[in-house]
Amino acid sequence: MSQDTSTATGASPRFGASHPPESQTHDIEVRGLSRSFGEIRAVDDVSFTVRGGELTGFVGGNGAGKTTTMRMIMGVLSISAGDVLWRGQPITALDRRGFGYMPEERGLYPDQAVLDQLVYLGRLRGISTAAAKASVTDHLERLGLAERAKDKVQTLSLGNQQRVQIIAALMGRPQALVLDEPFSGLDPQAVDSMADLLREHTSRGVPVLFSSHQLDLVERLCERLVVLAKGKVVAAGTADGLRTQTVVRHRLVLSGDAGWVRDAPGIHTVDVDGGAVLFEVLDPGAEHRLLTEALRRGDVLEFAPQRPSLSEIYREVTA
Amino acid sequence: MSTTMNRRDQSDDDLGRHDAGRPWLIVAGREIVVRLTNKSFIVSTLVTLVFIAGFGGFSAWQSGRSSTTTVAVTGPAATQLVEQGSTAAAQADDKVSIKPQAVPDDAAAKAALTSGQADAWLHQSGQGWVLTATDAPDNAVETAIGGAVRTQALSTNAAAAGTTAAAIEKGTVLTTDRLDGQQDDSLFIKLASLAFSLLFFMAAILFGQQIAASVVEEKQSRLVEIIATAIPLRALLAGKVLGNSVIAFGQVVLYGAVGLVAVAFTDYSRLLPSLSAAVIWFVVFFAVGFFALACLYAVAGALASRTEDLQSTTAPMTMLLGVVYVVGFTVTGTALKVASFIPIVSVVAMPGRILSGDAAWWEPVVALLVMAGFAAVTVLVGEKIYRRSLMQTRGKMSWREGLKSADA
Repeated sequence: MSQDTSTATGASPRFGASHPPESQTHDIEVRGLSRSFGEIRAVDDVSFTVRGGELTGFVGGNGAGKTTTMRMIMGVLSISAGDVLWRGQPITALDRRGFGYMPEERGLYPDQAVLDQLVYLGRLRGISTAAAKASVTDHLERLGLAERAKDKVQTLSLGNQQRVQIIAALMGRPQALVLDEPFSGLDPQAVDSMADLLREHTSRGVPVLFSSHQLDLVERLCERLVVLAKGKVVAAGTADGLRTQTVVRHRLVLSGDAGWVRDAPGIHTVDVDGGAVLFEVLDPGAEHRLLTEALRRGDVLEFAPQRPSLSEIYREVTA
Repeated sequence: MSTTMNRRDQSDDDLGRHDAGRPWLIVAGREIVVRLTNKSFIVSTLVTLVFIAGFGGFSAWQSGRSSTTTVAVTGPAATQLVEQGSTAAAQADDKVSIKPQAVPDDAAAKAALTSGQADAWLHQSGQGWVLTATDAPDNAVETAIGGAVRTQALSTNAAAAGTTAAAIEKGTVLTTDRLDGQQDDSLFIKLASLAFSLLFFMAAILFGQQIAASVVEEKQSRLVEIIATAIPLRALLAGKVLGNSVIAFGQVVLYGAVGLVAVAFTDYSRLLPSLSAAVIWFVVFFAVGFFALACLYAVAGALASRTEDLQSTTAPMTMLLGVVYVVGFTVTGTALKVASFIPIVSVVAMPGRILSGDAAWWEPVVALLVMAGFAAVTVLVGEKIYRRSLMQTRGKMSWREGLKSADA
């Protein structure tokens, strides 16, 4: 793996400067990560940080490169260029051993009992048998699977298999969590338990990166999000931060016809429907001049900035 | 970029997380437990054991069985012949006894035969004697009575010619002898070699396929991605090969031990010392040979991406084992000598030679070293292909592609 390229790329000087090794950050930093499959560049110069103690949502359409990026972070796919840092240092196999990872495609040993195979996977990560057993039992209880501990995995429903897979990633106090679509296939109740579990991990300072197609869920849970499109990061930051970055739309409803708004200076009219207008502000302050003009002309029934949903932001940044 | 920071984490201490540990032992442990708790494995092992023990039991019963043949006779001449035959038969094999049963006439003799009261009927016909049975007469009985008839006729004829039977028979007997003083056990050696071939062939195919299947199971379900983030793939391969080798080895030792005990109950028990030596060598060869094969099978599993691909990726080993199986009991002479040094083939060829007593003490040692070297190369090359192909989840790879990417 390209551990030595970290100094050579210099893609983001901020990382090295603000996080000297002594500062004991618990961040996963991805710097200039790229991966090609033949001619196709699946991930192209991707950089972002998953901060310790924060839930970071990884959003993007199918084929955007989320899974490829996560697999490179976990070292199961070799990196074409760029690097991954953990606590300010190039990540090692030993570091990853302490990470909880949930791959995109799910699978377990169908013939082995739930408890046995979870303990086995825990022991592979270096957790003692007793500690693994305790952690697994605790998680099984919390996810409502306690009485299935001795059952073979293949006798479980898909949703329950998904929960077992989640336990495989979360058991034994991992140092970081990288979860590919952890919420898919879960019922609303399980989504809530899962969200609670993830928050417990972030509250002890663990960085959590998870990908999801459910934007409402990401909006509800995440402190931060990274939006990927066609292998590139198209937006990254807090949900509120992203909102201010996008062009804010306003809605104005007049008692009379609003056709005159089309000719108002400093704005772009998106839509006019009778007395209702949707417009974007091109020249800051233009919206106030427009309101004054509207009040002069007659009654104003409604005037408000439109708070865009994450889906709208997503559509805009990935367009 | 050296690190001075303390990477130990509070939580790691709480959990007793070991830095390196011996992950291959954990993997091997799981493989063993999974196999030992597998119902079909237990059943097939028990069935084979019953089969081996049954062979011993049947042989023992067969050789311990005594038989009595009743021969119907109508006159004193026939009675005398049967009595002489009976003495001769008892001398040859104490488990065969013949006794005459006097009947009034030929019709009564036929009736006794049909009713099953008599097994045979000795009567005169023209110049000679006829032994009639319901079907073919028993071999031992035929030989014994035939001898008696011949001796009596010879004596009568000799007396008529003015000489004795002994004078006529002088110098007519051919006896066989072997320079090495051993008896001819070639059939038994052939059978034992066949047993070695069969045992190795079956164990290797069975366990090999299971190893390949368990590798592809992990690959197909992407469990391997979770495992790969926790331990080096080398440790996964080592654990898998080791765990399955231990089970296969244990099974063969069990079969071998039960087989030797079974042989102890048969007429071939006098061969036990040389057979034991051959079996012990077989077990040692098996262990080393199986280790190399297990590694190849694991690679075959890694080359496949679905269980359906296994048949084609394991084809080279299946062919190799087929050749070994056939060579094990068909090849003789110089070819066998050469075969007994070729890795994998030597697993069955060398013990066969040891059993027939034509291998010098150093020959199995050299053959074993050659195979150990082969196993080492297999493990090294196999590990490379295994690592390269295991994460390749799109379609199956050929052995050639696997080797190429291992070079890259």
